[in-house]
Amino acid sequence: MENESITTWEPKILAFLCNWCSYAGADLAGTSRIQYPPNIRVIRVPCSGRINPLFILKALQSGMDGVLVSGCHPGDCHYLSGNYVGRRKSATLKQFLEYLGVEKSRVQFSWVSAAEGVKFSQVIQEVTEDVRKLGPLKNFVKR
Amino acid sequence: MIQQKLREKAKELLSSKTVDLIIGYGSWTLPLRTTPVFIRAPEGVESLVWNSFCENNLTTYLHKFSRLKVGVVVKGCDARSVTALGLEKRFPNHRPLLIGIPCQRMVDRKKVKKAVKGEILQAVEQGELLLVKGEDFNVTLKREDFLYSVCQVCTHRTPLHADVLIGDPVEESPLVDLHPDVKALEGKSPEERWEFFQKEISRCIRCYACREACPMCYCSECFVDSSRPRWIEKSLSPSDLAFYHIVRAYHQTGRCTGCGACERACPMDIRLTHLTQKLNQEVKGLYGFETGIQPETLPPLSTFNPEDEQEFIK
Amino acid sequence: MKFKLDKKDFENFLKDLMETYDLFAPVQLTEGVSVFKKIDKPEEVNLTQLVPQKSAKEVFFPQSETMFRYEMSENQSPIVSEQKIGRERVLLGARPCDIEAIFIVEKVFIGEDYTDVYFLEKRKKTTIITLACNHPLTTCFCSSTGGGPFRKDGSDLFMIDLGESYLVELLTEKGLAFSKNRFFKEAGSKEIRLVKELEEKAAKKTDSSIPVEGIEKRLDLMVESPFWDRIHEKCIGCGTCTFLCPTCHCFDITDEATNQKGERVRNWDSCLFPIYSLETSGHNPRPTGRERTRQRLMHKFNYYPKNFGRVACVGCGRCILYCPVQFDVREAILYTSSRRTEGRKGKFK
Repeated sequence: MENESITTWEPKILAFLCNWCSYAGADLAGTSRIQYPPNIRVIRVPCSGRINPLFILKALQSGMDGVLVSGCHPGDCHYLSGNYVGRRKSATLKQFLEYLGVEKSRVQFSWVSAAEGVKFSQVIQEVTEDVRKLGPLKNFVKR
Repeated sequence: MIQQKLREKAKELLSSKTVDLIIGYGSWTLPLRTTPVFIRAPEGVESLVWNSFCENNLTTYLHKFSRLKVGVVVKGCDARSVTALGLEKRFPNHRPLLIGIPCQRMVDRKKVKKAVKGEILQAVEQGELLLVKGEDFNVTLKREDFLYSVCQVCTHRTPLHADVLIGDPVEESPLVDLHPDVKALEGKSPEERWEFFQKEISRCIRCYACREACPMCYCSECFVDSSRPRWIEKSLSPSDLAFYHIVRAYHQTGRCTGCGACERACPMDIRLTHLTQKLNQEVKGLYGFETGIQPETLPPLSTFNPEDEQEFIK
Repeated sequence: MKFKLDKKDFENFLKDLMETYDLFAPVQLTEGVSVFKKIDKPEEVNLTQLVPQKSAKEVFFPQSETMFRYEMSENQSPIVSEQKIGRERVLLGARPCDIEAIFIVEKVFIGEDYTDVYFLEKRKKTTIITLACNHPLTTCFCSSTGGGPFRKDGSDLFMIDLGESYLVELLTEKGLAFSKNRFFKEAGSKEIRLVKELEEKAAKKTDSSIPVEGIEKRLDLMVESPFWDRIHEKCIGCGTCTFLCPTCHCFDITDEATNQKGERVRNWDSCLFPIYSLETSGHNPRPTGRERTRQRLMHKFNYYPKNFGRVACVGCGRCILYCPVQFDVREAILYTSSRRTEGRKGKFK
């Protein structure tokens, strides 16, 4: 039974996509019929700077195996500097989580613009594979 | 003697009405401890002491007395807390008057307790020695073997931006080593690091002594009490304990001075500084920032630089 | 009935015990930190710390307790499952102060109008083996609150550490169930004499000078005293004293639920937290530390005595030992007796 559940396990990844760039990029991937793994659940946020680090922790605690935060490229933020602020939060949180023992590739970040449908699908591909290799999240999950 | 100079200065400040209240350290009922004292009358300064047991960060009390002109006794780390609080606009009425005392590094009372067998009845400092007496023992310890871990790696023992400095500035030690707990974890695997963290916080009883002792934790509604959204529950589930400590530490990013008040306050001896010290190291490495050194430099998470590190972003 | 239990038999005695009972005893989590826990292996039991941080009240009134679980099912009423205590329990290694405290908490949970089933069931099913205190600490003032280091009241069995062995006295019917225990040897006159010596020595060490007598009436006159304006200043408002105190018993009940299932959990709460008395309107009848500190001391030394006839303090000293800022309840009590501006060492102005 154990083996069966491991081979049928699919990583669950929560993707926070900024409305103006990454979410539009995801849309473009969809309308262009570019295939990407169905493992992500998307939450649309106005800006990558809106991400409260507690969202990421709560996602992991709730049983998500991985988290992706994606925003506009530096200089292109709809709110001018939101992604810069978000970048600092992301950097510090990522290093801290790694230090605590959460595996390196569970929480990832990307810049995807509204025109980058292909890049979006590549990012999802990579993140899904990375998390699949790590296996289901065991630490920290609330049972 | 520093203690005498401190009392004289305090008396002067109170008599001249430069301040309405002085918050300092006083001796109290247990050995190896001091207690915060709140002095309003000039005669009361006789209760002020200065020794290696002045471990509390008194700046955590400043918010209670925002209507008064307050003078507060600060060590190096505490003084930096006030600078950080000032940047966060916590002193709209009166800026506190800092009575800075260059710190000789504080003694870890829990370490001393572990070194003897039985209840400690008396502990007296004599220069670099600590004379500890109990019913069945009388030992002499070297003070430097029993310092708090954050004190061992402190590089700012002389209070910066103090209005009054009691005693001469001390020679700062350059940063020679990382905090011992952080250093021990650096070479370990993710599983080992998580295990260490888990084991420490498994003792947590959610008393929030760490939060209350910290001068930077002043939110009128802490995230643990939020019901919409309800981040964590009040029960002792391992997951919620981890969440609480991760977030409380993370909320100190760019704000923590490494005073160690959180770890000292904990009744369950949880080594909390292994979290905050790592974050301080991160912030220094990424943004070249150290809390409370430059009064004009904004905390790193409230600003940005277009050239910030982004190797980790796809 | 008095017996001798050799320390070399102690672990096997516990092993035997654990076949019939669920054993709760002090466990050292790290050096200097002990709590009461359910024992999985006899080696875990550690009786070296006189005052474990968490008291024995945990055994009857756990910090987090699931009251019941429920699961929604389609077209049917929800399935509710309660937590039941399976086996009989033994509480071993609590000190007389902790046992005294259980009786204080019991008066609240098992009352005339209301009985708390969770507390009651654990209480009924537990045999208490108390351990006497040979070396009370300077912070122990149990003898001022009506207790003592060798006080047997409330115990089913009473253990005294004689060095190489324990003297075990069976006191109640639950205790007599142990009379045929295969590790119990006959206690001789040598043991009895040693007990007397230890008892006399210990009695001299606890602090009987704290003026708890009559404090209720004194506090009646002090409700608006300026004393409260000063004493609260150094309290940082954490919950350390309330959670470690063996008689504090406030709690909060929450539902932890997802869409389909959940559980109702009871957790300890502290009257020193600002939100403890926060009302939905936003009004808080105890808005500052002054009111909250006053409430805590009044509850222990005025309100509880009015309801139940004794102070809700057993003099264990935990609040003194573990308070981050060294708030000392003894000084507060002393102040009420002298009504001077100076306590014994205190400086309440």
